Amino acid sequence: METRKPTRRRETEDRRPEGLVSPVEGFNERARRAVRDGDLHDSVELFTNKSVAGRNAVLNALPEAPGLRERAYHIKQETMANLDRYLGQMADAVEGRGGNVFFADTGEDVVRYIGDLARRKGAKVLTKSKSMATEEIELNRRLEEDYADLDLEIVETDLGEWIAQLAGDTPSHIVGPILHMNRRRIADVLSGVAGEELPPDVEALGSFARRRLREKFLTADIGITGANFGVAETGTIATVTNEGNGRLVTSVPPVHVVVMGIEKLVPRFEDLSVFVRLLARSGTGQKLTVYTNFVTGPRAPGEIDGAEEFHLILMDNGRSELLGTEFEEALYCIRCGACLNVCPVYRQTGGHAYGSTYSGPIGAVITPLLKGGKEAKDLPHASSLCGACWEACPVGIPLHDLLLKLRNKQVREGVAGKAQGLAFKGFENTMKNPALYKISGKAGRLARKPLAKAGAKDGIPKTLPGPLGAWTNGRDLPELAPKPFRELWKEGI
Amino acid sequence: MADRAEFLEKVRHRTQRGRYKPTHAPDVAWTPKDEPPREDPRIEDPPARFLQELEALGGHGKRVTNLGEVREYVLSLARGREAKLLVRWDVPELEELGADGPLEEAGVEVAVWRGLEDFREVAGKADIGLSTAEWAIAETGTLVLEGGRGKGRSVTLLPPTYVAVVPVEKILRTVPEAIEKYAAGYAAGGAAGLPANVCLHTGPSRSGDIEMSLFVGMHGPGDVHVLLMG
Amino acid sequence: MKVALFVPCYVDLVNPEVGVSVVRVLRRLGVEVVYPEGQTCCGQPAFNSGFFDEARAVGRHFMDVFEGEEEWDYVVSPSGSCTTMVAHYYPFIYENLPDERDRAEALAPRVREFSDFLVNVLGVKDLGARHEGRAVFHTGCHQRRELGVLEEPLELLRNVEGLDLTGWKNEELCCGFGGTFSVKMPDVSVAMADEKIKALDESGADTLVSCDSSCLMHLKGRLRRTGRETRVLHLAEVLDENGG
Repeated sequence: METRKPTRRRETEDRRPEGLVSPVEGFNERARRAVRDGDLHDSVELFTNKSVAGRNAVLNALPEAPGLRERAYHIKQETMANLDRYLGQMADAVEGRGGNVFFADTGEDVVRYIGDLARRKGAKVLTKSKSMATEEIELNRRLEEDYADLDLEIVETDLGEWIAQLAGDTPSHIVGPILHMNRRRIADVLSGVAGEELPPDVEALGSFARRRLREKFLTADIGITGANFGVAETGTIATVTNEGNGRLVTSVPPVHVVVMGIEKLVPRFEDLSVFVRLLARSGTGQKLTVYTNFVTGPRAPGEIDGAEEFHLILMDNGRSELLGTEFEEALYCIRCGACLNVCPVYRQTGGHAYGSTYSGPIGAVITPLLKGGKEAKDLPHASSLCGACWEACPVGIPLHDLLLKLRNKQVREGVAGKAQGLAFKGFENTMKNPALYKISGKAGRLARKPLAKAGAKDGIPKTLPGPLGAWTNGRDLPELAPKPFRELWKEGI
Repeated sequence: MADRAEFLEKVRHRTQRGRYKPTHAPDVAWTPKDEPPREDPRIEDPPARFLQELEALGGHGKRVTNLGEVREYVLSLARGREAKLLVRWDVPELEELGADGPLEEAGVEVAVWRGLEDFREVAGKADIGLSTAEWAIAETGTLVLEGGRGKGRSVTLLPPTYVAVVPVEKILRTVPEAIEKYAAGYAAGGAAGLPANVCLHTGPSRSGDIEMSLFVGMHGPGDVHVLLMG
Repeated sequence: MKVALFVPCYVDLVNPEVGVSVVRVLRRLGVEVVYPEGQTCCGQPAFNSGFFDEARAVGRHFMDVFEGEEEWDYVVSPSGSCTTMVAHYYPFIYENLPDERDRAEALAPRVREFSDFLVNVLGVKDLGARHEGRAVFHTGCHQRRELGVLEEPLELLRNVEGLDLTGWKNEELCCGFGGTFSVKMPDVSVAMADEKIKALDESGADTLVSCDSSCLMHLKGRLRRTGRETRVLHLAEVLDENGG
């Protein structure tokens, strides 16, 4: 068996001097290690630069791109407002084509459905094409653990996902799962499976993977895919892959299981022409993904290949909680990864710093929402709110506004902490009161002297204790002017 | 098992909560100030555009005028790839082509997609897959492949070399035109108007997962040929 | 033409010379400038941290001070970010409070970022300024995306005599300041500054210009910490040079 149990990621040692701890734990701790990892930085830079350039070229070349984005937003808005109706329609359409439909409230429900199905079928080998929904619920690990007696071999077939699986690693980007690994690392991983030394050469590594995975495609009992889109009207599942694994997984095994988040719906077949174009152009800088594959139910009578049995799992797993709320737009996401590529934070940290399946701006938005409660409360702060994500999003999701709303939600729910609450109450009181504001300015200037003394030579403090230390750890502190503007104004300009 | 009615009621109930104010995303990057090189939406010469797009993706395209040329192309490709087994769709157009005999004479076994005991065995072993296509799309260099009787999905997928023969009158201009065909087909004929599988196949299979370096022929064919006839 | 000057709190306390330059440039163009003394801050630090109630309270104070429809035509501010807070985000935070929302929506179009005001309200593109050197311009993210004021500062700078305005790599990238982000995520914030500084080095520029003193404060802090002497100037300071 080639698949290994996921192991905890080895954390690289931080050899640089310790900085001051951020008031926000979690992301910052992971990011601090990431920004000191030179290999990671190079890999992320290569990927994001190439992706952004590709996307810009091919989107700008399409005259109707702005109009498409507008349409995409409105289609998704309409879908979410009537989601129950469209889900019902989708289920009817799939059943009308001889497929099975299962409504799953949680990831647990999905695992049980697939595990029981595997048991009924006496399945041994399950091939999967890349699916973020199944990553989200850790389908592989849970099937292996909960159905250990079946001794299932679950094989990821997207090259990057397969390598991640073999390495016991998780994807660090929605579209480029192993962009954080360089070819030497990949050669190490694949050499371990090959039982011989493979050169760190793309041709050699790719050819090896093709041979190995080909055996799996041909012997699989069940194929599992996600869905890039599901069409309510026709019951069609659209999957896009460049490698062809999506089409193989749905064409060769006798059983095809789709795990689809309920937000992936579009109402009509014609809507696909908006979304498949936006997804390809925005995600990978292509006019169309190599295999843009539409599957509607099991194989038709007279067909020799294509799955005989078709199962559609409509998964909620926290999504419906967002419906009709100020966060609903987060459900419009088509998982193209464009917001990760343009995000200046993601560029510095890569995806693992987010500590969740979904990284980058969309990950920072949906992870705390899907997990609920105090989970991932660091992520809404992992953004400078620059809005590059909002600008890049092919569906026009106001991602940075959603991050702001999430920060506000934390304040309302008391997650933000008492100290911060007091600080901003103080801020409010100062800023509402010009006299108090004036005094604070003066106090600040007075405080400079002892600070400077405690700090360093030339009267410029290099490092400071307390929250200011987070600033001075990497930057010089700005000098307060001897006189504020308001005094200069009074004196006359 | 989660109950359908309960599940949908929960969803319905949640959609009814207070609405939010839609936001308009900035379109700085969507309507760039410098006029970039734009794709020509009119596409005056669809076959030429198709070939141009396919070549750009690393595929091989050729315009031919008769079945003889197609036969010749397939034969010489089979020789060039040292093919032992070719698998093809079981469709009238490829019967008419009459390439089976000459291929067998040249030492290439031909498997036709009908009554196969184990399709995996055949398609998995074949060196070349040969099919027609329902449509082609000029804008993107795409083949629109339908599943159906005689039209194996694996034929276009498992062999390392893949050849498609498409009459020029089957070339559409844009992706929306192609999708509209099936939307209209469904509207008119319901399930009968939309095959169980439709694939928009655009160029050779590829992966960029290793350092964004292009690897061609990842899981599907890396060697793709399209003959436009007429 | 009469304008009320809004000098954001950090400009008031750290870079008052920016405010002085704004006043001088505007006066030279015949604009009457007043400075409402009750002004403090737009409330953005609280807003960005999710403390919307506190931001709303500060916003009410801001509107009280700056509404003055009878007294001035526009409110002008040397900050794309603070202008965005008022013109773009006040309607957002008062969305469910009709009275304040109406006030915010009425005020929004009258609050203008400095370069936007010069070019689009006054119709001025050449201030007759002079500055020797090679400069790159950093467009603050709010100015770029919420305000869409992209070309205006560049046009103004292109007309500065002696100034060689050059492009730099990935210029649309955020500098990493992000308000409280700069102290909540200090490591990433500094890494973001480093990427900008690398691009700055590659551009060969000796001057960094922006319409946002907050971005400049952050970048300058990093430039100085890494031993660089790059000149760091607000657009108003450049336009004010050589007495016009």
